[in-house]
Amino acid sequence: MRKFLVIAIPTATLIVFVLVMHSARFLKKPLGQDDDIPGRLDSMIEFVNNELWDEANNDFKELSRAWDKVLARVQFGSGKEEIYQLDTSIARLEGAVVAKDKAGALMELYEVYNHWEELGN
Amino acid sequence: MNEELVVIVRAIISFFTLLILARLLGKEQISQLSFFDYVLGITIGSIASEATVDLSSRAWTSWIGLIVWAALAYLMQVITLKWRYAAKMIEGEPTIVIMNGKIMDKVLRKMKFRVADVLELLRNQGVFDLNEVDYAILESNGSLSVLKKSENLPLTPKDMKLEVKQTGISTELIYDGIIIEENLRQMNKDRKWLMNQLKKYGIKDASEALLVTLNDAGSLYVDKYDDNIKKVKDIGDYKGPF
Repeated sequence: MRKFLVIAIPTATLIVFVLVMHSARFLKKPLGQDDDIPGRLDSMIEFVNNELWDEANNDFKELSRAWDKVLARVQFGSGKEEIYQLDTSIARLEGAVVAKDKAGALMELYEVYNHWEELGN
Repeated sequence: MNEELVVIVRAIISFFTLLILARLLGKEQISQLSFFDYVLGITIGSIASEATVDLSSRAWTSWIGLIVWAALAYLMQVITLKWRYAAKMIEGEPTIVIMNGKIMDKVLRKMKFRVADVLELLRNQGVFDLNEVDYAILESNGSLSVLKKSENLPLTPKDMKLEVKQTGISTELIYDGIIIEENLRQMNKDRKWLMNQLKKYGIKDASEALLVTLNDAGSLYVDKYDDNIKKVKDIGDYKGPF
């Protein structure tokens, strides 16, 4: 029993550490309606394509709130660099939506999407 | 991103990972470390610190580096244990630097060691006169083993043909005022015997003793809390803040 614990406790500890370090991969997935970042990005792409700027603006606010929620969950399994890149893209996206710049907004949307895919992977 | 919280979590991960890896890599003491072991330790420690405070990258990448370095160190240990040739290559081997009282200057040059270094290591061993030295061997961990000439070796009971009792190792019977029953049983003694012995030292209760040990020869060492020493000798050579 003692030998088992001597092996089991460190092994279990290391497994927990690995899970924490990979947590971003799992915890970035939406747990509800208000933290569905890919869903928000999809609908924003549609609104921007149709130049529905008010709807795109509303969606952006929800995207921003969703990102704040998800960030608290993924911070232990991701690097500051990738979080910073996603943050910056979201900020630029806001500028493009406010300026009603279709090309700029679409560029930023796809960049956010790309950073999102990379997050924790 | 709550950076403080992330650093705390990463520090916990690095700390316990290092602890587990250090246990896995064995019980080598600092004094036994070869130069490579020393560098290895610094590198592993540096990766662990990077995993803790370098938030720009994921902890996972540093952690993998940590595991790989430790795994390689473990592999080297296994190889050197099972393959003597490799052990000689990796860890080096002891080298004679003084033979029959003569300094091997060519060997020293080859090892990039100065005579002054050898003299320093000899002094660390309590040897201040080269005439006393028969052999000196520089070990692979950088320490010097010295064999003095026969006439300079300390006199032992064997030389005097004296019979001596084995003292064995000491076992703690009281530590910090508390009787350790398990050790008492192990030494085939009981509380009554212990208290009778302590009375000879003027101790009425176990709580008055800081440390009591008994060796296999039956000799007791007793240290009381109240040592009756009013002034402790100051061995400092410079007046400091304390």
